[in-house]
Amino acid sequence: MVGPMITREPEFLPPPANAFASMGRPVIQACRDTGRALVMLLGAIANLPHVFSKRNRGDVVQQLWQVGLKSLGVVSVVALFTGMILALQVGLELRRYGQENNIGMLVCISMLREMGPFMTGLVIAASVGSAIAAQMGTMTVSEEIAALDVMGIDPLRYLMMPRLAALAIMMPLLTVYTNLLGILGGALVGLTQLGISYEAYFDNAFRYAENKDLYVGLFKAFLFGLIIVDVACYQGFTATEGAVGVGRATRRTVIISFLLILIIGYFVTRLFYQ
Amino acid sequence: MIRFEHVTKRFGAKTVLDDACFHIQRGETFVIVGQSGAGKSVSLRHMIRLHIPDAGKVWVGDDCISEASGKVLSRCLDRFGVLFQSGALLQWLNVEDNVCLPLRQRTKLPDAEIRARAREKLEMVGLADAGAKFPDSISGGMRKRVGLARAIVTGPEIVLYDEPTSGLDPVISRQIDLLIDRLRRKLGVTSVVVTHDLYSALRIGTRVAMLDHGRFAVCAPPAEFVQSENPVVQRFLRAQGIANLGDVEKAFEHETENNPD
Repeated sequence: MVGPMITREPEFLPPPANAFASMGRPVIQACRDTGRALVMLLGAIANLPHVFSKRNRGDVVQQLWQVGLKSLGVVSVVALFTGMILALQVGLELRRYGQENNIGMLVCISMLREMGPFMTGLVIAASVGSAIAAQMGTMTVSEEIAALDVMGIDPLRYLMMPRLAALAIMMPLLTVYTNLLGILGGALVGLTQLGISYEAYFDNAFRYAENKDLYVGLFKAFLFGLIIVDVACYQGFTATEGAVGVGRATRRTVIISFLLILIIGYFVTRLFYQ
Repeated sequence: MIRFEHVTKRFGAKTVLDDACFHIQRGETFVIVGQSGAGKSVSLRHMIRLHIPDAGKVWVGDDCISEASGKVLSRCLDRFGVLFQSGALLQWLNVEDNVCLPLRQRTKLPDAEIRARAREKLEMVGLADAGAKFPDSISGGMRKRVGLARAIVTGPEIVLYDEPTSGLDPVISRQIDLLIDRLRRKLGVTSVVVTHDLYSALRIGTRVAMLDHGRFAVCAPPAEFVQSENPVVQRFLRAQGIANLGDVEKAFEHETENNPD
């Protein structure tokens, strides 16, 4: 069964009639792109029941490896230094008021609620998202996506779904890892720069953090995973004009993912923390 | 088998196909020639719905593929195998896995059976020993032959070839031509070939169509095509140094004798 073909014809719009029309066109284009990207996301989600089928199992495992384990190095560095910077900045300020003992709580809650999913999202958007966009874009301009379409192989199932599953699984796991390393980085700074023992730091950290902080953070990470894959695949599948188009798709993927991670992160926070 | 009914296609201000009409019969090798940008590949892409006409209809058998969706579109596409200009092989799969791909993704055949079929097709295109190689480590001619093996592995009724000999040296080009001809004779497939190589067109085509400014200026068997007085055809023939069919046929017969399969 062939789904709607992903390969699209190039669009040729007539020149805008006036200045008002030329201002409105990018808005209309953005709305169109958003709608199409959402339809694609739904198409890939609809294929998720096949995630461990014989046809897709290998690809999913390979993507889990690519997204998860190959990103561990950079995620580790970013997570550790995020926690260290947080602890240092907050600790130095709190010390003026004699409150440096509370850095454990501040670092822990910041990491769980915001910085963990946010920093993981940025790192994965820049590394994995851009790689997905470049791969899909190259496949599009070299007619590999068209070939899949014509062979009756749905690119949403064959290419997008395994990446979606991998990021939906790995983003929360990587965020847990980021949180742990960030909190540990804060403890290191607490001990070496602020003279706070590990016991005092962790006691303070876990006394105030709630399960909800962890769950909301992981929910954000899950959403960020979906956003990154959707943006990257959409930009890749709609790439045109050869190498220039692939570069453009990659750049757009990183920019749009960053913006959406910021904006959607804010609204999720508002939703859960009134 | 394939019918274009008054197909018009525009890209912006440029009209690429202008009221194009033709009918491809079952079992023939229909070759579309024309200058670069004349709309040859666009015609081909209409047959597999990678383009949708602005006006007119494209029929595949009794199905109007230009208006099809869902199961009808699936049924239409099942009838095709396509050799894309670049081969369009997936770079992370080796040659054999590329050929296996359509069967793996679309059938429930056991893996041993899929591999056996893929090897048979690879043997048919003369690449029996290349199964373990990756696309970036083989030549352009080999990539096209792998693309051809992949196109025919599902046993399609119609095979489309987009510039099958472009960028290849004359020896490899002739091998590809022989392969296309052999497929028609052995498997009885209907072939549609897009090329600007008139030697190739006249060797393998049962009919040759000249596309000019979005319209089919001439559509005739090779012998009639070379005698056409249409100025575009004559200019094309002169540009490629073809005065009559004799030399082309001789070269083709010579190769066929040396490669009887």
